[in-house]
Amino acid sequence: MTTSTVTENSASEPVPSKTDGASNDHRGSWVPNGAMISSRFMELRKRSGLMIALIVVTIGIPTIFLTIRLVAHAVAPHSYGPAGGYDIFIALVAGVLYVFGFIVAATLGCTAGSIDLTEGMFRHLVVTGRSRLALYLARIPAGLAIIVPLVAVGFTIVCAVCVFAAPTQLKYDGVNVPVNLSRVGLENWAANHANEVICNFNFNFGVNQSSAKASSIPAVLNSVPCGNGPGHGGVIVTKGSGSPTQSKATPAQIREVAVMIARGDYSDYALQFLYPSNSLMIRTGLWIELEAIVGFIVGLGLGSLLGQRTVAVVLMLVLEIVLTPILSRVSIPHLINLQRSVVGLAVAHLEPSGLGFVFGGGGGPGGNNGTSQLVPESRAAAICVIIAWLVGWTALGAWRMMKRDA
Amino acid sequence: MLTTTADKDTASREGESQWAVETHGLTKRFKDNIAVDGVELLVPRGCAFGYLGPNGAGKTTLIRVLLGLTHADAGTMSLLGYPVPHQRDKALARMGAIVDEPRFHGHLTGRQNLQILAAAREVAARTRIDASLDRVGLIHRADDKVSKYSMGMRQRLGVAACLLGDPQLLILDEPMNGLDPAGMLDMREMIQSLVAEGRTVVLSSHLLDEVERTCDAVAIVDRGKVIRQGAISELLAGSAFELQIECSTPDRAGAILAGTQWGSGVRIDPNGLIVDLLAGTDRAVVAEINRLLVEAGLSVYRLQEMHASLESWFLEVTTRLGESQ
Repeated sequence: MTTSTVTENSASEPVPSKTDGASNDHRGSWVPNGAMISSRFMELRKRSGLMIALIVVTIGIPTIFLTIRLVAHAVAPHSYGPAGGYDIFIALVAGVLYVFGFIVAATLGCTAGSIDLTEGMFRHLVVTGRSRLALYLARIPAGLAIIVPLVAVGFTIVCAVCVFAAPTQLKYDGVNVPVNLSRVGLENWAANHANEVICNFNFNFGVNQSSAKASSIPAVLNSVPCGNGPGHGGVIVTKGSGSPTQSKATPAQIREVAVMIARGDYSDYALQFLYPSNSLMIRTGLWIELEAIVGFIVGLGLGSLLGQRTVAVVLMLVLEIVLTPILSRVSIPHLINLQRSVVGLAVAHLEPSGLGFVFGGGGGPGGNNGTSQLVPESRAAAICVIIAWLVGWTALGAWRMMKRDA
Repeated sequence: MLTTTADKDTASREGESQWAVETHGLTKRFKDNIAVDGVELLVPRGCAFGYLGPNGAGKTTLIRVLLGLTHADAGTMSLLGYPVPHQRDKALARMGAIVDEPRFHGHLTGRQNLQILAAAREVAARTRIDASLDRVGLIHRADDKVSKYSMGMRQRLGVAACLLGDPQLLILDEPMNGLDPAGMLDMREMIQSLVAEGRTVVLSSHLLDEVERTCDAVAIVDRGKVIRQGAISELLAGSAFELQIECSTPDRAGAILAGTQWGSGVRIDPNGLIVDLLAGTDRAVVAEINRLLVEAGLSVYRLQEMHASLESWFLEVTTRLGESQ
């Protein structure tokens, strides 16, 4: 190699450039600054196609559904029930917000994790000298600042309609029943509406009633004129009660049977609400946000790891829609701990009690009754699994970003 | 194994080295392919430095190694006196660079893209956005989406991104790509103005003519190795040149000179009589040739030394290297 002396025009005394604050800007620190987070937020927010999709799914679908119900009820209240209420709340939480919240959050995460690389901005950012870990971590608050409010808005709309457009009377087994009655109150009400109770309520009692009462049931059923014949087709199995008598029941007997039916149905009735309670809404909101946060963080890590969005989104969809339901419900003894490590199962186990079977399991209306549909897992184990997924995927995504050739 | 110069009393000369870029034995391999092969590079501060080489010579790979976009397999390097990768963040804080084709978020405006990059720099960088856009002539299109920018505009946006950090060293990889002649002229003037401010500009390119017009010094890289480096004037001075002679009878003049010590280099081409002279030939030789022709009764209208262009020198050097291998 030949090396000759280079004439240095002004190189001997180069004018030092002012690097205002460069020496103390903590560029090597792994902590992202506010400007990095806000600019990253702007970059994501300006993706109009993605934002429209997120808004349509998290806010648009429930809004359209509820609007149609509101209009239909306003136009034909006898044909269409109220737009809101407890049942609608459950349906929208289960059918839309839980699954779609995860999917849109995962999509946003995969985008945030991969888009700098695919659009060629990554090397510009690396050349600034800023810590790659800080560049990665800045995406987390920026993305959460988008997805958390979006899910919150969609959920708030659902809650508002479900509360303010809730039915004024509880329809229990097709009968308008006053809400929040005590056991005695329901029995008294049943005594005064004996025919409706006998014709429509489910018979949730065996025949462990006193033989005197049990013996009067067939007579009562034959005496009460229901539209679909005596009784409503409920089958009563009596032990050794012999053949039903065909005698006419007295009004007292009819009231007595109605009270008996109401007593049997009370535990089920007590779980029926006109609209969800504040406590339930808050717990459900937090639970849905948790699901969305998990979706975003895992999507971010996976997107960063793979360096491309499409494959990462597909994998997240497969995880949420295919793998999680299967691994959550089908117990495989040899893989039971592997199944328990699925984040979707862990989140499902944190489902608020009183919510019903949103994820085919969860707390269920009676508290923890519904969890029997899921592969069993303790609440503490579920929390550990969720934390492990959040930390693990963040570490993986950050590691890949730090080691990746730009 | 990669070592840094951190161990070599660099603490006393951090940021004070006379070299903007200094590498020793820098090597980068991609499996069996050596993209950067023991590169020894010294780029003085305050000059425009051309890094020349044919396609695939390893120019961009060297830049990527310097900037930390990929790791080196061996060798030492420092930028602005800071050993890298040990103190790369300090070095990069005072640098700007374009690597390969400048790409940005297409859905954002030029200004918004710069906001993202400025946020990753020091606080003062955010105040330089408009000035940077203005300097590269993009201020009037700053609020248009980058997806609507031409290639040349993206190149200029890339330079604007480099200027955000008020850099002492700029590394520009093929900055003339996609520029029309006017754009190339603007870019050249911009680079020269940056150098005039005391900054160092390393210009990687295969456009020899542009490098010759823009740069003060060059390094020639071929197959991953730096084969020559130095000031352009000195490098070219070391190459042969030709003497063009315009006279009344070129054929007779050729015959006269054929019998002299310069006879082997005499030829006639459409430009007239040409005499190839060796590098370092004294100018008295030109006068001697003129005297011979005049004394032979020829009318000499013009004698002109035609030094090799950077392009011809580059081809000569790289061809010679290729033949020797």
